Amino acid sequence: MPPYKIPKRVKFRREFRRVRDRNATKGNYVAFGDYGLQALEGCWLKSNCIEAGRIAIQRVLKREGKIFIRVFPDKPVSKKPLETRMGKGKADIDYWAARVKPGTMLYELAGVSEARAKEAFMRVAMKMPVRCRFVHRRVSA
Amino acid sequence: MHEDAPVLNATKRERIGSRYARRDREAGRLPAIVYGHKVEPVAVSLDAHATLLLLHKGEKVFQLHLEGGSESEFVLVKDLQYDYLGTNIVHCDLERVDLDERIHIKVPVHFIGESNCKGLKSAGTTLMHPMSELDLECAVTNLPDFLEVDITNLEVGGTIHAKDVQLPKETMRLLSDPDGVVAHIVAHGGSDADGDEAGSVDGQAAPEVLSEKKGDADGDD
Repeated sequence: MPPYKIPKRVKFRREFRRVRDRNATKGNYVAFGDYGLQALEGCWLKSNCIEAGRIAIQRVLKREGKIFIRVFPDKPVSKKPLETRMGKGKADIDYWAARVKPGTMLYELAGVSEARAKEAFMRVAMKMPVRCRFVHRRVSA
Repeated sequence: MHEDAPVLNATKRERIGSRYARRDREAGRLPAIVYGHKVEPVAVSLDAHATLLLLHKGEKVFQLHLEGGSESEFVLVKDLQYDYLGTNIVHCDLERVDLDERIHIKVPVHFIGESNCKGLKSAGTTLMHPMSELDLECAVTNLPDFLEVDITNLEVGGTIHAKDVQLPKETMRLLSDPDGVVAHIVAHGGSDADGDEAGSVDGQAAPEVLSEKKGDADGDD
């Protein structure tokens, strides 16, 4: 497995799939940076996808600004090998994913101008398997 | 000052709950609740368009006129609830206030002098602001829209705490943690800035499984 981010230790090796039809009620606002990239759809975001997004931001921004990655791939997803009969227990882990619900904040940026942040997030949005949008930090009423 | 506060016309909600609140929103109303002054809370609905226009203008204190009521009362916008995308306001909390009362309020912090800041002129530095709002106690008639913090002389590694922020009036009192960090310039020359390639991420082949017995590393098959 390539060296993408995965948990250091887990309680159980495999996990149920579980339903994913709800909107985000937490992690859906810009908490640390000034700008954010928000998912508009739900998905299981693979660890390599998160890493590809991080690299895309750094290729644009070089050493400028600070990145906050708001999702972590803590869900193991198993997959049976091809041409295998059903049964014989749950398959091995294929990849690790982060549960993304509509509204989840994926990345945040601090210390860059709005134009630069938009440029970086536009590149990242193209790599994401879901529709995303650029958002600002909200100031309370 | 607030005798000429904008007037909000409200109607009492007979049925409460998410289903009826959604129907109210579809009919162009904004569900809200009025509470405070040791009086029973009242679920009301407001005209969504008019209310949102005033809220976006930055108004915080309103005269609430309840339909069928004899007189209006002053209310403060205590909290706003947003939808899952954080775009639309779906509910509003209004607290009853008197004009001679002192209240607790969250005030946003605005930074000035960011373009001339000494610490931000060197490469690889970022201005962090963990507390973007401060809790204040002040009179209803003297609500500040924002607090200004000058960061022109802030160096790299320098910090502005909540106690260092100049309040607009002496009668205002800071309620936030005085040692809370309002502004901080950090230098991150190499920690997360390098690592353009995927190999730089600290990954591992498989995580340690806590529930697994010793000698059963291959799984439960």
